[in-house]
Amino acid sequence: MDTTTISQMAHLGAGIAIGFGAVGAGLGIGFATKGLMDAVSRQPEVAGKAFGFFLLGAALSEACALYAFVIAFMLLGK
Amino acid sequence: MEHWVYTFYINGHAVSVNLDTIFTMWFAMGVVIAFAILATRNLSLIPNKIQALGESIMKFFYGTLDTMIEGKNREHVPLVASLFLFILTANLMGQLPLRIIHLKQGEIASPTNDINLTAAMAVIVLLYYVFMGIKAKGAKFFIHDFSFTGIVMALVEVLEMFTRPLSLAIRLFANIFAGEILVSIALGSMAYFLPLPIMLFEILVAFIQATVFMMLTIAYIGSAVKEEH
Repeated sequence: MDTTTISQMAHLGAGIAIGFGAVGAGLGIGFATKGLMDAVSRQPEVAGKAFGFFLLGAALSEACALYAFVIAFMLLGK
Repeated sequence: MEHWVYTFYINGHAVSVNLDTIFTMWFAMGVVIAFAILATRNLSLIPNKIQALGESIMKFFYGTLDTMIEGKNREHVPLVASLFLFILTANLMGQLPLRIIHLKQGEIASPTNDINLTAAMAVIVLLYYVFMGIKAKGAKFFIHDFSFTGIVMALVEVLEMFTRPLSLAIRLFANIFAGEILVSIALGSMAYFLPLPIMLFEILVAFIQATVFMMLTIAYIGSAVKEEH
C-alpha cells in the first residue's frame, strides 16, 4: 500500500478506536449513574457522600475512553 | 499540543527535554510552595484565613487516609498531599490564558499534558508503595505462601507493578490532554460564551483527576501495607 492509503486507513482506525472506546465508557458511566440513583432514592440522606464516590467511579470509567482517545490521536499522526 | 523539545548530547547520547513542561512544572511547584509557606507562617491557635484553609485541606487528607488505610497512616501524608496539591495546581494552570504568551515552539499550558511528567509521578508512587510494602511485610510482600495459588498471585502482583503506574500515568495525561483539545475545538467552533460550560467542566475534571490520582495512590499504599490474615 502506498502512503496515502495507509494514512487513510489510520484515520479510519482512529475513528473506530474512539467509537468503540466511547461505548464502554458510556456504559460504565451509565451504570454508575444508575447506582447513584438507586442509592439516593433509597436513602436520600447519603446523597452528598454517594455523589463523591459516583464522581470517582465515573472518572475511572471515563479514563477507558481516554485510553482509546490517546490511541486515536497516535493514529491520526500516521 | 507540541512541546518545545531541547536536545543536548552527553557522551554522544541524545537527551531531549521538554522545556515548556519544565517551566510550567516549576511554576506549579512554586505556587504550591508559596501557599505552604504562607499557610504555615505565623501559626496561631486562632487561625487566620489562609491557615484555616490549610488546616481544612490537611483535614481532608487525614479523613481520606483514615477511611482507606488502617493503623498508622500519618506517615503517608507528605507524599499524598504534595501529589494532590501539585496535580491540582498543574491541572488548573491549563485553564489560565497563558497560551497568549508565544514561545518559539509549543505553548504554556498545564504541565500534566506531558506524559513524561505523569509517568514520572506514577513511577514515584510505584517505588513508594513497593518500599512501604517491603518495610511493612518484608519478603512476604512479594510472595504470601509457597503454594500454587500463592505463586500465581505473586506473578499477578508483579504484573500489577507494571499496569498500575501505566494506567495512573495515562489516565491523568489523557484527561488533561483531551480536555485541552476539547477546549481548543470548542473555542474554534463556537461563538461568544458557548465554550464557557466546557471550560467549567474542565475545572471540574482538574479536581476529579487530582482526587482520583490521590485516591488510587492511597489504595495502592493501603493494599501494600495491609496485614494479611
